[in-house]
Amino acid sequence: MTTSTPQAASRQTTGAPAKASVWRSIWNHRTDYAYVLPALFAMLVVIGYPVYYTLDLSLFKTPASLQLKDKVFIGLENYSTILSSTSFWKVTLQTLIWTAFSTLIAFLLGLGAALALNREFIGRGILRGLLLVPWVVSAVAASYVWKWLYHSDFGVIGALAVQFGLSDKPINFIDNLQTGLPSLIVVNVWKEFSFAMIMLMAGLQTVPEQLLRAAQVDGASVWQRFWHVTFPHLKGVSMVTILLLTVQNFNSFIIPWIMTGGGPAGATDIWITQVYQLAFGRQRWGAAAAYSVILFVIMMSLGYFYVRSLTSGDRARAVE
Amino acid sequence: MAEVVLKDVVKTYGNIFAVNHVSLKVADGEFVALVGPSGCGKTTTLNLVAGLIPMSGGDVMIGDRVVTDLDPKDRDIAMVFQNYALYPNKSVYNNLAFPLQMRKLSKSEIDSKVQAAAKVLDITHLLQRKPRELSGGQQQRVALGRALVRDPKVFLMDEPLSNLDAKLRVQMRSEIKRFHQDLNATIIYVTHDQLEAVTMADKMAVMNGGFLQQYDTPANVFAHPVNMFVASFVGSPAMSLIPLTAATKGTDVVLTSAEGWELPLSPVNSQKALKAKSNKVVLGARHSTVRLHKSQVPGSVPGKVYTVEPTGDVTFAQVFVSSAILNISLAPSVVIRPDETVFIEFDQERMHLFDGETEMALAG
Repeated sequence: MTTSTPQAASRQTTGAPAKASVWRSIWNHRTDYAYVLPALFAMLVVIGYPVYYTLDLSLFKTPASLQLKDKVFIGLENYSTILSSTSFWKVTLQTLIWTAFSTLIAFLLGLGAALALNREFIGRGILRGLLLVPWVVSAVAASYVWKWLYHSDFGVIGALAVQFGLSDKPINFIDNLQTGLPSLIVVNVWKEFSFAMIMLMAGLQTVPEQLLRAAQVDGASVWQRFWHVTFPHLKGVSMVTILLLTVQNFNSFIIPWIMTGGGPAGATDIWITQVYQLAFGRQRWGAAAAYSVILFVIMMSLGYFYVRSLTSGDRARAVE
Repeated sequence: MAEVVLKDVVKTYGNIFAVNHVSLKVADGEFVALVGPSGCGKTTTLNLVAGLIPMSGGDVMIGDRVVTDLDPKDRDIAMVFQNYALYPNKSVYNNLAFPLQMRKLSKSEIDSKVQAAAKVLDITHLLQRKPRELSGGQQQRVALGRALVRDPKVFLMDEPLSNLDAKLRVQMRSEIKRFHQDLNATIIYVTHDQLEAVTMADKMAVMNGGFLQQYDTPANVFAHPVNMFVASFVGSPAMSLIPLTAATKGTDVVLTSAEGWELPLSPVNSQKALKAKSNKVVLGARHSTVRLHKSQVPGSVPGKVYTVEPTGDVTFAQVFVSSAILNISLAPSVVIRPDETVFIEFDQERMHLFDGETEMALAG
């Protein structure tokens, strides 16, 4: 509201000689640009150049020897090969399953934990600390620990299942076409739900007490108070949390790579493990580059729509 | 509508009594203001009536039901909050409809009730808007509307005007008063502003330190404050309190100051002063009951002008009398200057005397 006045004023003064005022505006903000310039330059070097190089490489057939001077230009053949292969679509489906389930379950568990920890009870501080542990633990260490927990011969989980009579022999969790991916999702959820929990705990602090009381007087049950008051207040932080988790999960590598390496028979392969294998396993640099470009396009368009929907609320408010 | 009875209500937090054995009865259709300074327990008392916090002792009755152990939703109350507490993501219409939706009324029933309430409060044209698109006064009206649609037994209002600017507050004050008259509603209204209580309420309950100090009509509280706290809290400017020493002179009593002047009391006031536990007596006087003279007249005492505040039709002066500050209202034509020595004449009929030890009013 308060910002609308100066904006309106500046719009009036710009008016006719628009071009000149653009330069003047840039000149007026010259120190701001100067501050941003070093970072911009660094990004150009460490992001811009690799992106260009990857794009370039994706148009070539490369020798496994890494002698890139022997590469052969093949146009978009790498792309068509990938997009027409069945394995790409299988891996894409697995990536979507991995991302959707990991994100959703981690978010819901985090929400539950945040709501529980938002109430006052004895031992709350200790519990909050404990629930943060998975997020703090190194992903590599956690992956190895979980690998052993799942181990088909020596795993604790399998042993417990046998002991409690749930299974007559130790279960083979991760070397199994059906249970492989779900088992990895469990580990991923365990690793990231604390992040959702922290974000939502912060969000819960912003829910006004008076609104909850008003809803209580209006006759809303605990669940209705959550749905009508608490949840709308968490909308912003929920969107951001889900966005961050989604991006993180699309880009997952450590957990699947360490625990299964994409196996068995590619059942736990996701995009990044696939790219890694193409590049560093089979030395197909050109194909790996093309794969990366495809992922880049998919991710950027997803990100674009997501951020747009995220900011549409803000824009509507700004217009008012 | 229904009457509300608080019986020996107690709320403690650890060893602290937020509400200390408060009993009061709000008659059917009565507008009662709970008034007192911050932390006096007035909002806690309201929340206890609403059932938003558990009681430590005592009982609350609404109508002929004991509601002490009931949830807020089962008490048949409606509440208006200081920050309006409108649901920001819902339209005005849905804010008004919410309590009815929670009670699972039919759509057509909800609609007719919402429209009726909107009409009463003149907010029909705002129904499709979101709360953030409304002004403070409009939001307050929506909050009143949300309380109104339910047709509750009691309205509980927690400082509903304190977020509004001064001009709007005066306007909404009369609107709420009108609201009370038109609906014949039972209202319990919490405010820290004694002026709101005096102007709006049928009765006011003055609280301090968790205790109910006095519960009476505003006129009676104003005219017969039971103790020094009530005397100094109600009325603007506040009643001036001058600590003095009582001495007997024959059958009558004179009040003497540390500076040596004497103020002889009338026989009625002498009787009152004699009831004090010690010779410490506090003289209370409202600004309109004292007269200022430029030169000494019989029965007047000396004072020194501290500040002069012209307000247009009245000029307020603060005068040091003994060690206390005395508020006086003057005609604007009277010209006095700071540090000038003046003489004060008290109205024996309308002066108040308090026991300097117990701080209680001394009665004849």
